[in-house]
Formats: sequence, C-alpha cells, structure tokens
Amino acid sequence: MKVKLRYSHEVASKPILAEIILKTGLLINILEAKLTPKEGEMVIDIATQGSALKNALQQLRSSGLEVIELRSLVEVDKGLCISCGACISPCPSKAISFDENLDIEIDAKRCIGCGICVKACPRRAIQLI
Amino acid sequence: MLNTICARIWRGILIMERGREELRGYEQINEKIKRGDAIVMTAEEFIELVEQSGLEKAAKEVDIVTTGTFGAMCSSGAFMNFGHSEPPIKMIRCWLNDVPAYKGLAAVDAYLGAAAMSETRPFEYGGGHVIEDLVSGKEIELRAESYGTDCYPRRSLETTIVLEDLNQAYLYNPRNAYQRYNSATNSSDRILYTYMGTLLPRYGNITFSGSGQLSPLYKDLGLETIGFGTRIFLGGGVGYVVGEGTQHKPQSGFATLAVKGDLKGMSPEYLKGAVFQNYGTTLYVGIGIPIPLINMRVASTAALKDEDIPVDILDYSIPSRDRPIVKKSNYAELKSGRVLIGDKEVPSSPLSSVKVARKIAEVLKKQIENKEFFLQRPIELLPSYREFKPLKIKKREVTVRDLMMPLQELILASPEDEVKKVARLIVEKNIDHIPIISEDGVLIGIVTTWDLTKALAEDKHKLKEIMTRTVITAKEDERVDEVAKRMAQYHISGLPVVDDVMHVKGLITSDDISRKLVGRRAA
Repeated sequence: MKVKLRYSHEVASKPILAEIILKTGLLINILEAKLTPKEGEMVIDIATQGSALKNALQQLRSSGLEVIELRSLVEVDKGLCISCGACISPCPSKAISFDENLDIEIDAKRCIGCGICVKACPRRAIQLI
Repeated sequence: MLNTICARIWRGILIMERGREELRGYEQINEKIKRGDAIVMTAEEFIELVEQSGLEKAAKEVDIVTTGTFGAMCSSGAFMNFGHSEPPIKMIRCWLNDVPAYKGLAAVDAYLGAAAMSETRPFEYGGGHVIEDLVSGKEIELRAESYGTDCYPRRSLETTIVLEDLNQAYLYNPRNAYQRYNSATNSSDRILYTYMGTLLPRYGNITFSGSGQLSPLYKDLGLETIGFGTRIFLGGGVGYVVGEGTQHKPQSGFATLAVKGDLKGMSPEYLKGAVFQNYGTTLYVGIGIPIPLINMRVASTAALKDEDIPVDILDYSIPSRDRPIVKKSNYAELKSGRVLIGDKEVPSSPLSSVKVARKIAEVLKKQIENKEFFLQRPIELLPSYREFKPLKIKKREVTVRDLMMPLQELILASPEDEVKKVARLIVEKNIDHIPIISEDGVLIGIVTTWDLTKALAEDKHKLKEIMTRTVITAKEDERVDEVAKRMAQYHISGLPVVDDVMHVKGLITSDDISRKLVGRRAA
C-alpha cells in the first residue's frame, strides 16, 4: 500500500517513521521525500495489508502525521489516451503495459511516481496525482 | 557489371508487369461490392487464412485485404480558405489559436502545418491540435495581419471560425504512411527526448513506429495497387493518394504517400494532435488502404507477417544523419515488448497505436461490405525507385581544429606529478585545463585550476588523487556548435581534443569559442 505522509511544523523533526519500523517490524520503503525542518511530504510503500496495515496507518496518524492513502500515483485520462504505447518502455519500474484490449494499464503496485510517463505521453493524457 | 544489367532487366520486367490484373480486375471487384458478395478481410485475418489454407487458395478466395495505420505523421497539414471579410484583407500573416499558418498564398488561403507550434504555448499545442479541434467542431481563434492594398484595404482582423464556416478545408499531407520505419534506442548516459519518444540512457528502452503487418504500403510491397488516385480511408473520411510522399524510397522498403482528403468528412477519432517532449507538436493520422488481390505477387506481400518485416534499431544518441545500427530486428520481436541487445533484455514499445490501426482495417472492411466504399484503380503507379539524396553543406563550417589550442601550447601531466609543480606551470602559462595522460600517451584524466585549488586546501599531493577520470572530449573535425552544446550540457569550460585512440591533439575552451569566433565574424 502506498501512502503519502504530510509532516507539519510540530512533527517534522521527529523520527516517526523509524519508531514505527522498530515497533512493528514492517518493511517500509521510502519512494519520495521532501523534508525541511519546517514541514515535509513523503511517499512510502508499506509492504503489508489487512489489520497490520490498518494498525500502521493508525500509528502514523496518532503520531501527528496527515496520512493520505494512494491508490495510484498516476492517472490516465481514457478520453485522451490513444493506446499508442509511447509510455510503456520508458517506465523504469515496468509498471505500464497493454491489457488484452491493447488499452494502457498501470500497475499501481509497481509505479514509483517518477513522472517519466507524463512527459513521454504524446497526448498529455497521464497526470501525477 | 552482369549484376547491374540483370537488375536493370529485372526492374524493367517489374515495371512492365507491375499492376497487372491477373487474378481479378477493379471493375469485377466493384461489381462484387455492389452485389454485396465481395470477400474482404483485414490484413491480420488474411494472414491467418493463408496459414490455414495456403497462399494459392486464400488468394483465389479473398478479393480485398484491408490495412490500417495510426501514427505520428509530422508532414501533415491542412489547406484552408477563410472567405473574404468586409472590407477584405490580403492576409500576409495569420494564426489559428496562436499557431502560425503559411501565408505565401492568395489573400485568404492558408496552409496550417501539423508541426507548427503555438507562439503562446509551444511544445504543448500546435497545428495538429488545431486540426483535431477543427474536426471536433470547436471554435478556433483566427488572427491575421496585412499591409493593406488598394484592392484589399483591411490591415488586421480577429475573429473566430468553425470548420463549417470555411469554404474549403482539406488535409494535404506531403508524407504519410511510411511502409516501415527504423526503431530507436539510446546508448548515451542521459535521457533523450526525440521524435521517437523518450529514450532512457544506456539502452534503457526501445521505441518503434508503424503498424507492421497492418501497414498499408508494406502489404502492397511492390506498389502494384496503391498509386496516384487510389481511394483511401483518411482521418475517418475519404481521401486519395495524390502521389509519392516526400523521401519516398521504395527500393529499401521506405515508400511513402502524399494524400489528400476533405476535412469536413473526417472524425477527431482518427486525427489527434500530439506533442513529443522537447521535440515539438505533430498529428496522429489514421490511414486505411484497401488492397485488391489483383495478382499473386500482391497476395503474397499482403500475407507478410510482423516477423517478415525487418526493422533496424538505431542509436539515437549519435546526433548524425547516419545513426549506427544497434541490432537488426523485426516487428514481431519489437511488438513482443522485449528485445535482446547483447545479453541485456530491453523493453520495447510502439509509438503508433496498433489498437487504432486494427480498428481502421476493421472499419474499412465494414464500409466495403456495406457498399459504402468502392475501389479506384490508380491513374498512375508510384515510382519503384527513388534516390534519397542528402543535403550538402557547401559553405565551410568552423570546426574544433580552427579554434583549439594546439598540442605544443598545452601542458600535459602524468598522474604521478606533484600538485605544486603543476600549479606553478599553470601560473606561468596562464592555462586552466591540464589533460593527464598515461605513459603510452592515452588521455586518462583532467584537472582544472579549481581542482588544484581544492587540492591545496585539502592537502593532496599527487594529481592522481584529484583528477577527474571520466573526461568529456571533442574531435578535431567536429563542428564548434556541437562542442559548445556539450560544454553547456556538462557544465564544463574546456574539452581535450583527441583522436580515435584517445591521444591528445589539443584543447578547446568556451573562452576560445567566444573570443576567436566573434573575432572571426567581425573580421
């Protein structure tokens, strides 16, 4: 599950993520981080599901973070997309493919939100969320 | 000699026999369409049939094979006539949604090219988008300027138009529907944004164009049925082939078409404005061509499969007209999504939409079956051979050799040299860059005055401790603007000039370029 965390001024200097990793033993991968002593944003991937995930999200929230669950990091506008495939091979995490109807399919689990596909799309049909 | 004569005779036979209606003729086919019993198959269905029952039988059974392609075709555009305003104007410049159209025509005729970019939103919106918007029925802002004449006194206008307002608006594309196209990869260490899309560094991916086994011109490889006057599916409406396309090179499988069709009958589903990052704007054009199986040669090329259509994968990091071939591949391998380069499995993906190409072949088939589309025998066949000439630059261009500091004025050092000794030399000779060479004279590093300053501050003693080992270099016969671009790209101010075996020949700095080049122009 990919999650966006917003750090406010009060919590920006606390090692919240490290505490949760130590406490839960969960594997957490940091995909993106923009942190200053004042505030910050981070996108993480928590490698679990079900009640363990719920528990981890609860702990993040009670530590004072704003937690936004990301179902996907990018969005394809099907009205603009022409199924050309120009976004597929440039994707460094191999998250994009054709489905059986030759429509573009983005695997949210693999996507790291790098945005290369956004620039690669000749129709400007892909947006980072 | 014998070979040349044989080739000439062979070509003669081909020219004589090309287009011969042996299996069936156009009148016969159109009669069958009228009766509703013409047998039509898409190119992919025909391939399947040939595999099941053999070419001979399939060619007897099937009258027409439909094809399709939907890709970025920059040499596309539209001629328009706006009608006259009151008082009238002789437009000498005009813009549609801020995209400039060519006005070297009569007063209110214009040509809007797909690759022309908006002056307010370049690299985002262009002529291709205007064409898509027009066909979608959207309102377009028209702006025009003039100097005013006795017969056309108005000097400027601003208004809006929709497609229906125009007297004529027709797509006229000088080069469409490449028979096949080369594929692209990138060996360099930086990401490239090209007309072949985004190319990741170090052979990170491969992109390709064209619809392969659905490609109209490849399915009639000998150009026996597609010629001047052929009626085609163009942008969702009806169009015609109006001759060979520019850069037509059929002898190597790179035939192209010039096509024309009325925009008013077209659909935005098959005309899509597009943009290639850092390259520019273009238009995706949908083209479908019916191929009547008039003889066995046509039937055999109509049955060609993706794996029968060769595609060279070229290295687009070489900024040259002649890009080196990395691998000889084919559409089957490219469409599989994985291509082996050496022992590396490289992801590949198309730029043209196979989905839409397939749909075009289907739609065209339905139109023929529904008696809405009849075949037109070409008035004239397209040339089967065309030389593709390069553009020679006849004015001498300034090269690195003209501006570089020659070897005898340079200081070369060895990695074992003392920092202090070199610092002293730098002061004496007033030089900023010191190439470092191995014992056998091969360039292995570089130090700059900045590196030396840092070395003194950090108390380092030997050049090998501080030198930069990945050296960006230049060649003597390279054009100076190429080298200047490289300096800007890597944020450096000097490049050692080397030969093919990395022996230093000189040094070129941004200072040399700015001072000597300006001096030269002034003189």
